[in-house]
Amino acid sequence: LPCAQDARTPPSPLSFPPPVTSEQIEHLHRRFKQLSQDQLTIRKENFDSIPDLEFNPIRGKIVHAFFDKRNLRQESDGLADEINFEDFLTIMSYFRPIEMNMDEEQLDRFRKEKLKFLFHMYDSDHDGKITLQEYRNVVEELLSGNPHLEKESARSIADGAMMEAASICVGQMGPDQVYEGITFEDFLKMWQGIDIETKMHVRFLNVDTIAHCY
Amino acid sequence: MFLLLPFDSLVVNLLGISITVLFTLLLVFIIVPAIFGVSFGIRKVYMKTLLKIFQWATLRIERGAKEKNHPLYKPYVNGIIAKEPTSLEEEIKEIRRSGSGKSLDTPEFELSDIFYFCRKGIETIMDDEVTKRFSAEELESWNLLSRTNYNFQYISLRLTVLWGLGVLIRYCFLLPLRIALAFTGISLLVTGTTVVGYLPNGRCKEFLSKHVHLMCYRICVRALTAIITYHDRENRPRNGGICVANHTSPIDVIILASDGYYAMVGQIHGGLMGVIQRAMVKACPHVWFERSEVKDRHLVAKRLTEHVQDKSKLPILIFPEGTCINNTSVMMFKKGSFEIGATVYPVAIKYDPQFGDAFWNSSKYGMVTYLLRMMTSWAIVCSVWYLPPMTRQPEEDAVQFANRVKSAIARQGGLVDLLWDGGLKREKVKDTFKEEQQKLYSKMIVGNHEDRSRS
Repeated sequence: LPCAQDARTPPSPLSFPPPVTSEQIEHLHRRFKQLSQDQLTIRKENFDSIPDLEFNPIRGKIVHAFFDKRNLRQESDGLADEINFEDFLTIMSYFRPIEMNMDEEQLDRFRKEKLKFLFHMYDSDHDGKITLQEYRNVVEELLSGNPHLEKESARSIADGAMMEAASICVGQMGPDQVYEGITFEDFLKMWQGIDIETKMHVRFLNVDTIAHCY
Repeated sequence: MFLLLPFDSLVVNLLGISITVLFTLLLVFIIVPAIFGVSFGIRKVYMKTLLKIFQWATLRIERGAKEKNHPLYKPYVNGIIAKEPTSLEEEIKEIRRSGSGKSLDTPEFELSDIFYFCRKGIETIMDDEVTKRFSAEELESWNLLSRTNYNFQYISLRLTVLWGLGVLIRYCFLLPLRIALAFTGISLLVTGTTVVGYLPNGRCKEFLSKHVHLMCYRICVRALTAIITYHDRENRPRNGGICVANHTSPIDVIILASDGYYAMVGQIHGGLMGVIQRAMVKACPHVWFERSEVKDRHLVAKRLTEHVQDKSKLPILIFPEGTCINNTSVMMFKKGSFEIGATVYPVAIKYDPQFGDAFWNSSKYGMVTYLLRMMTSWAIVCSVWYLPPMTRQPEEDAVQFANRVKSAIARQGGLVDLLWDGGLKREKVKDTFKEEQQKLYSKMIVGNHEDRSRS
C-alpha cells in the first residue's frame, strides 16, 4: 500500500499525498471489510448497505466518484467495475485534513487535488469541461426529490448559474459566442477565496489507544 | 475380558451416583426455589466471583502486551470520525460568504453548494451510525469467552489454562445442566397449561394458570443463568394495559414474563414453538395470529383493541421495534400498538454484555445456534426498569406518543435514542426519508427564487 509505506518513510517535498497514521488505516480497513462483506473488492452495490447515504441527493455522484478512474489516479479513463482497499484509501485521501507542516507548494497542490475531485463530480462525461447539460444535471439532482419543484425551475436556476460562471471566466461574451463549458482552470478561478482545503476533510476522532497489530 | 468387568461396573456406578447427585442438586437448589419464587442468592455470588476473575484476566493481558511492547486494540463504540455539528444551512452560508460573498438570500445555485453533500456523503461512507447498532456491542475487558477476544497472542500460560478451564466448565458442566433445566421448564409449561386448560373457567383456573406460567418461566430463567434486577416494581403493568419494551433478543420475553403475568402477542410458529404456543393459549387467552393475519394491520389492531378493552384480561406484552437491536440504542417504535388507546407501561431492559452478549443477530445466527451461544455463556445479567404508565395526550398523534415512550425507555436504560427504523437491518430506507434532505436544500434555493420572482 503506498499509504502504508508513506507512514514509515519521512515525507519528502515530492511525496503526495501526505501520510496517514496506521491507526486510521486500520479503521478504514475495518470499514472496508464491513462494506465489502469480507471480500477483497467493493462494487457499486456494496454502497447500498449504508442507510444514511440514501439521504444524500448526490449519492449517485459520490458512489460514482469512487469508481472514477481519474480519481483513482489510473492511466486509463472511464469507470472501474470494482475497487480494492488501496483504491478506497486513494479516494479517502482526498478528504484528509491539512497538516501543520505543509509549505506553500504542498498546500497549493493539496487544494488542487481536492478541487479536481469536485470537478470530476460535475464533469460526468470525462471530457475535461463542465457543459451546461452537466451543470443542469447536478442542479437537478440536488433539487430532486422536491415534488413541488417543476423541472423548468431547476433548469432555469442552473442556466442562471451557468451564465454567472461564464461571466466570471470569460468576461463579456459577444452575442455569437458560445460558452463551451467550464474548464478546470475556470473552475479553479471560481473557487478562489473559498478555503476548501480547510473544509474538505473528515477528521478522525482523537482517542488515546493505539493501532492493532495482526 | 473379565478384567474389564469390575472396572466397568465401577465406572457405571460412579456415573450413576454423579447423575443422581446432579439431579438432586438441581431439584433442591434450582427447581424448588423457582416454583416458590424465592432465591438462594447463588447466582449473585457466582456473578461477583466471575467479575473478579475477568478483571484479573484483563490485567494479565494488558501486562502481557506491555511486556512485549505491542499496543492493544480497543474498539470504539462512539464511531471513528468527528462529525461536524453544523446544519445544512449554516454550512452553505459559510461557504458562500467566504467565496463570492453572496448570502442565501440570493436565489441562485452556487458551485460550492455541492460541497456540503459531498462531505456528508463521505462521512457516512467512512462511518455510519445505523449499521453500528446492528453488530454486537464491543467490550472493553475480556470475559474469558474466545468469541470476544481480539488480543489472543498476549495470553500467558496461566491465562490459557484459566480459559481452558472456563471452556470445560461451560461446555461440560453448565451446558448439560442448563439444557436439563430448559427441558424441564418447557415440558412443565406444556403439560401444566394443557392440564389447567381442562378446568372450567373461573378464579381457580386463573390462579393455577398464573402460577404455572410463572413457575415455568422462572425455571427457564435459571436455565439461562439469568441474573435479573428489577427496579420500580410498583409500576408493573396492570390489566387492560399494554406493556412495551425494547427488544434485544427472544430472551426478553422470558425475563419479563418471569416477573409478571402477561398475555403474549405474536405469530404462530411451527415446530416446538408452535406446540408451546398452542398449549399456553389453552390456559390463558394469549393473542396468536396466523401468518396470513399478521399482514392485515386492521385485523391485528382490532383483536388487540378487543383484548385491551376487556379489563379483566391480562396486560399485553409488545416489542414495538419489530426486530432485535444490539442493546446500545433504541430504534423507531412502530406506531401500531400506540394507536389502540390503552395505557402504556414502558419497560427498559439493559443487558450487561460482560457476562454474555444477549443480542440476537438473526442474519448471522439461527435460533438454535443463538440458544447454544446463550447457554454456553457465563451468565446473562440484566436490569429491568418498570417506568410509570403513560397515556396518549389529546394533542399528540400515535407517532409522537410512540416517540415519547421511546425516549423515556432510552433515557432510563442509558441507551441512545435513534430515529432510525429497526427494519433497516433488512430493508432499505423508505423513500419518504430520502426526500427530507433534498426538500430542505431545494426549499432554501427555490423558496427564495419564488419570493424573488414574485416581488
